[in-house]
Amino acid sequence: MNPPHEDATALHAVDAGEWLRPRRKRIVLWVALVVLLLAAQALLVTLTVHYRETRMQDAAEANAAAAAGELEQLLAKDLQTMLELPGAASAAPWRARAEQLLVARPELLRFERRDAALKIVDAVDTRARPPLFTQLGRDEAQVETELACAATRRRGGPTYSHSYFVPLRDGMGLEVMDLCVAERENDRVVGFVVASYSLPGLLDQLSVQALAPGYDLSFVEADGARLAHGRMHVGAGIYKASWVINLPGAAMQLRVDSAATRPSLVPDLVTALVIALSLTLFGVVVLLARDVRRRTLAERALADALAFRKAMEDSVVTGLRARDLQGRTTYVNPAFCAMVRFDADELVDRNPPPYWPPEYLREYQQRQDMRLASTPDTHSREVFETTFMRRTGERFPVMVFEAPLLDSAARHTGWMSAVLDLSAQRRVEELARQQQERLQATARLATAGEMASLLSHELNQPLSAIAAYATGSLNMMDALGRGEPPAPDLWPMLHQATQRIAEQADRAGRVIKSVHDFVRRREQAREVVAADALIDAVLPLVRLQARKSQTRIELSLDTPAPRVVCDRAMVEQVLLNLTRNGIQAMQGVTSLSEPVLTLRVQQTHPQWIRVSISDRGPGIDDEIARQLFTPFFTTRNDGMGLGLSVCRTIVEQHGGALEFLNLRDANGTVRGAEFRFTLPAATADAPRAQRAESSAPVTTTP
Amino acid sequence: MNLTPLPAELGLPMVYLVDDEDIVRDAVAWLLRSRRLLSQGYGSAEAFEAALDGDPAVQPGRWPTAPSCLLLDLRMNGMSGLALFERLNGRGLTQGMPVIFLTGHGDVPTAVAAVKQGAFDFVEKPFSNNTLVDRIEQALLASARTISALRDRIRRLRGLDELSEREHDVMRLVAQGLPNKLIANTLHISTRTVEVHRARVFGKLSVASAVELANFLNAARFEQEE
Repeated sequence: MNPPHEDATALHAVDAGEWLRPRRKRIVLWVALVVLLLAAQALLVTLTVHYRETRMQDAAEANAAAAAGELEQLLAKDLQTMLELPGAASAAPWRARAEQLLVARPELLRFERRDAALKIVDAVDTRARPPLFTQLGRDEAQVETELACAATRRRGGPTYSHSYFVPLRDGMGLEVMDLCVAERENDRVVGFVVASYSLPGLLDQLSVQALAPGYDLSFVEADGARLAHGRMHVGAGIYKASWVINLPGAAMQLRVDSAATRPSLVPDLVTALVIALSLTLFGVVVLLARDVRRRTLAERALADALAFRKAMEDSVVTGLRARDLQGRTTYVNPAFCAMVRFDADELVDRNPPPYWPPEYLREYQQRQDMRLASTPDTHSREVFETTFMRRTGERFPVMVFEAPLLDSAARHTGWMSAVLDLSAQRRVEELARQQQERLQATARLATAGEMASLLSHELNQPLSAIAAYATGSLNMMDALGRGEPPAPDLWPMLHQATQRIAEQADRAGRVIKSVHDFVRRREQAREVVAADALIDAVLPLVRLQARKSQTRIELSLDTPAPRVVCDRAMVEQVLLNLTRNGIQAMQGVTSLSEPVLTLRVQQTHPQWIRVSISDRGPGIDDEIARQLFTPFFTTRNDGMGLGLSVCRTIVEQHGGALEFLNLRDANGTVRGAEFRFTLPAATADAPRAQRAESSAPVTTTP
Repeated sequence: MNLTPLPAELGLPMVYLVDDEDIVRDAVAWLLRSRRLLSQGYGSAEAFEAALDGDPAVQPGRWPTAPSCLLLDLRMNGMSGLALFERLNGRGLTQGMPVIFLTGHGDVPTAVAAVKQGAFDFVEKPFSNNTLVDRIEQALLASARTISALRDRIRRLRGLDELSEREHDVMRLVAQGLPNKLIANTLHISTRTVEVHRARVFGKLSVASAVELANFLNAARFEQEE
């Protein structure tokens, strides 16, 4: 029972489906974009962190190299100093010199002089520290020393021992390394000088430590066990670098451990910057997304508004037309196309437009130029009537409402016009007018018919009787003439018949006189009227007819308007008849540039007003002109032939005269016809006493 | 002027004149008199009808006995001419009395309609007088013809009643078109007897042939059925 409802649902479903598809697509696109952004940002952060780690590692390794180099230099310098120590033979100076050296080089703990059998000859301890071998005797801790010295003896050059641990008195201990230098005389080893290094002391001497704080320097064994380390103990164990220092007789591993921990994400400036940028980017993306969404909504609203506008333009019956500033048509709606019967693409961009009638082309062009040249007031709206042409060539009247067309920036870009087809309205008006006229004519005719009927009845009786008596009398006389025997009362009968004829003739005369009296009574209806009031009364009807044939009405009145004494209704009828004749005379005259009907009222005489009505038609032939005022004479099929004769009767009843003349130009060619009639003027002293018969009609021959 | 003389045996022709204008009545009567025609005037339709009602001879199919004609003004005070004409038509009185209408200005269409309903003619006022009289005489002639036809029929019908039974039988068979011999066989009488009966029937009904007899019988039967 409710298919419309189902229809509506189906429609809705289709709508939603078409809606969903692009939406899902858009969501997928957005997700892809976000994932890509996340990946790119993660990569960026990772790369940044990795870069920073690499830099830390590099720094650690560079420090390790620098530290190793410095250490080697230090050891080489120490070795050089040791080689300059005085020989074993001279004991006193050696000792002095050794003590001096121990003061200068804090990393050195002790010097020993030994003989060829490795027996200690002399020993000097540094004064900066407590003596080394107090907890443990030197004897118990010289395995490494002896090995080094043996190697020195064998190879000939100074040799370092492996490091060894010396326990100290305070429970602590110290990693110590010995350097053994052989003293020779004539290639024979005569003794040894042994120097003991403190490994922590060595590290303390490194300037690298001062230069690059935050690095933990330490000596380590191959298995990673720490032997000694510098003053720092903050190595984080993440950025580590090892450097092997090769010494004659021994190798040491120097390790650098950065105090820096792994770069964490947040506090790091670069990372923070990157994250901030990412967040900003996200924000921008979100804003962008919202903007896109808003734009989509706005676009849809715009599309809806456009569809709405389109529907509106298509549904109105008013024609719409837009013109740009050059006068080219830029837009027309379907109603306008239907009105002029041209297609839209035949109208757009055409100048002059095809719906301008060719005969008005120049006039319209001028009007358009004027319009285009004017600077419009933004709210001005011009209304004018004009004539357009359909494709069929049919002209039709239109009403145009034109207003300036403004773009979104309120710039004047052209004109928008609403066009109303007036032809239907005109037809109705014309029909109404004709109907009105027909009604009046019928009413008049009815009155006239009644009058005629009454008259004919009144006159028929006596006339019939007269005829009958006369014929009867003649019959009798004829019979007498034929020699038939006369009736006995012939003469009294004839006498009676003649008497009756006389009576009936008298009766007919009385009927005629009563008609005359009736007309006389009508004269009492005269009043004083200003001529312009007379004209004003008929002008609407005249204009209505004139508009149909595009006739222009020209008025020429003396001011102040002359006043006439007349039967107002009658004179108005005369004016109507004469103007209609004039307008009709100009119809169908093709050579006419413009039909003009001129109505002129002048006071030509102190007692007479002349009214003239002239057209520009073909004039009237002499043949026709002679019969012009004859009753029942007409040149029109639908005419009664009473118009002009009635007009003349009316005018003459007023004591005036109705005349006709053809208007001629200088060459004598007929250029139109003029009807003129005179009416008595109202004199100032006796406006109502004016009698029509008081003076003879004034002839107004030019 | 009187080209076809009226049969004298029917009596004097009479023109009835109904017009509300005294002077017209008087003038027309005068005119008719100049042509030696009798006329009788009535001032209104009602007066004329009253006169008819007062005359016991006025019966449909039997009146008028003399040739008559009615001159009727179309437009009158009181009952109009047309209304009177329709009433007379309804009473079956216009068969023997043709009606000529007198019309004034503008009544012509009404008069034409009346002619279509059976009026004899109409004449427009003011009339050409002798033409009017000529038309009246033609109307009287028509009236005379109608009256004599009527009389003939009455006479024949009376004859039909006077036939003997045998004559009646013979008449029926003759009207069917049977030859004398066949009629004789049918009625079991001699041919000579049939001839005698036949001649008597023809004489009583004033017919000259079998066809005329058949026509008359058909008309009579038709009238009886009506």
